[in-house]
Amino acid sequence: MTLPLLLLLLVILALGSFLAGRARALMVAGGDARRLHSLPAHHGLNLMLAFALPSAVALAGWLLARPAAAPGPAAMLAIPAIGLAAAASLWLTMRPESRARNEVEAAAKGFLILCSVIAIATTVGIVLSLLFETAGFFRQYPAAKFFFGTVWRPDFRGDSDLGFLPLLWGTIYVSAIALAVAVPVGLFAAVYMSEYASPRFRTFAKPAIEMLAGIPTIVYGLFALITVGPLLRDWIASPLGLGTSGASVATAGLVMGVMTIPFVSSLSDDIINAVPQSLRDGSLGLGATKSETIRQVVLPAALPGIVGAVLLAASRAIGETMIVVLGAGAAAKLSLNPFEAMTTVTVKIVSQLTGDTDFSAPETLVAFALGLTLFALTLGLNILALIIVRKYREQYE
Amino acid sequence: MNDLRLTERDLDNRTARMTARKVQVHYGQNHALKDVDVDILDKTVTAFIGPSGCGKSTFLRCLNRMNDTIAACRVEGQITLEGEDIYDRRVDPVQLRAKVGMVFQKPNPFPKSIYDNVAYGPRIHGLARNRAELDEVVEKSLRRAALWAEVKDRLHAPGTGLSGGQQQRLCIARAVATEPEVLLMDEPCSALDPIATAQVEELIDELRENFSVVIVTHSMQQAARVSQKTAFFHMGHLVEHGDTAQIFTNPRDPRTESYITGRIG
Repeated sequence: MTLPLLLLLLVILALGSFLAGRARALMVAGGDARRLHSLPAHHGLNLMLAFALPSAVALAGWLLARPAAAPGPAAMLAIPAIGLAAAASLWLTMRPESRARNEVEAAAKGFLILCSVIAIATTVGIVLSLLFETAGFFRQYPAAKFFFGTVWRPDFRGDSDLGFLPLLWGTIYVSAIALAVAVPVGLFAAVYMSEYASPRFRTFAKPAIEMLAGIPTIVYGLFALITVGPLLRDWIASPLGLGTSGASVATAGLVMGVMTIPFVSSLSDDIINAVPQSLRDGSLGLGATKSETIRQVVLPAALPGIVGAVLLAASRAIGETMIVVLGAGAAAKLSLNPFEAMTTVTVKIVSQLTGDTDFSAPETLVAFALGLTLFALTLGLNILALIIVRKYREQYE
Repeated sequence: MNDLRLTERDLDNRTARMTARKVQVHYGQNHALKDVDVDILDKTVTAFIGPSGCGKSTFLRCLNRMNDTIAACRVEGQITLEGEDIYDRRVDPVQLRAKVGMVFQKPNPFPKSIYDNVAYGPRIHGLARNRAELDEVVEKSLRRAALWAEVKDRLHAPGTGLSGGQQQRLCIARAVATEPEVLLMDEPCSALDPIATAQVEELIDELRENFSVVIVTHSMQQAARVSQKTAFFHMGHLVEHGDTAQIFTNPRDPRTESYITGRIG
């Protein structure tokens, strides 16, 4: 008697109770479904729920109580028996006027609520686990030194400098370069796609741009490492005397910008298309040119959505790891030179948690503090986005 | 037709602003307009009436080349403004639309302030040299659209926050701000309640002092109330065109009579 066998038995009994419920409904109605308050299928579903819910609760309770053991013959019989008892009592009390439809609707609603609760609870769980580990870190390492330290020099033998600022600076610098690439290119591509391009060109070009989003970031990282990095070093950084490093903030930023273009362009394209044609007609009818119409009417009307697209791209850029590892290197530095190697928060989280780790040392626990700070950062960005969108929505709708 | 108040008519010495001769419009394979000849007179309201799909809105959009924005649409024949062919290759549709303004069926204020909505045309055409002149143009246009008194204290509130009738008058103000020679209105009252409709109709009558107005309408009462000239379209043909009083009291074509008495359309 094994658990899979028990599950199979429960499924078969559930299907059986559906059929039994449907048949019973027709029976109490004397074969005339019009005399029933609810459809026979509702009665079937209701009976199935009457069997499945108590069985599921019993099974879950039993598994929680004795998680390691396989169900013995007693449990094998007790669990379906509980369900069958509930189903049988419903079967016996069924009348033509029984409100099975309302019960099924309530169960459907309950199922949907359960799914939402799972999603929310997961988020809360993630935050809580981060919070506890972070609290552990701050017991061993002063918060002021973490938030305002300008040196990142972890040493697993102790006495590390775990200053957050170089990592934050790297993250902001790389993301800013990425956005400086992705926002104009993506937005103008979207304007071309939605306002100028012929339908034939659109059907070919739009999937081509969106394909950029499907490339794994490690492939972008390779592209940064072997193509963009040396190119920038040999043609720009070295001639200008700005450095000889192949890995640089500019490399990672540029490649990350290319990666985020489809986020900006695809969303902006949808948003621009959603601007009513009547606004364009109104502007053209006043003698405005196409570009005046786009600049002064279409883009302002689409602005809340475009801001949302940009912030989505920004949170992608902030959370990106692979491209930075391969493109920008792993040296935590505070520098303005875009051709120097730097690193970001996410890269350091990875490097603190890989290899032989001791989950009580501050050098490892710092990863959770970094993660929580990053989370707070992106949360702040999202709230900012909501505020901006709300402000303009009041004005524009 | 005794319930129609027919406006007084003094059309003796009006000159034609726009003329259309043998205008044909095709949408792909569909021949939407056939051999349309119409004159749009100076300082006159011309109404286009007819059942849905008869081609009246299509013809209206030919007059400022708004049909250019529809790829499948092809216009033949001759339409002139002040004697100049507007479909001539040297004519820029952008400049033409500054001279032939348009008000649409649904109010479509831009997502900007009331002031910026009205100032939109003057700004893009460089009609005002400085802020004071622009203020003047905005005030004049809003006064002409009978909206000034209602909005003068909130010029910088969003135009989309006005009521439907106010929005449509804002769109009219926006259209007259560029000082067009002809004002085209495509069913301007169809989205408005009766009170707002009455206000817009009164306004159309006042606009006649300065502009030629062409109005497409589904309401024959409205055509009778506001226009001096009426053109009846049916299935892509211009069936009859003449003084409004004559069309409504003594139509020459049996189709016109059927339509205005409510038997077709």
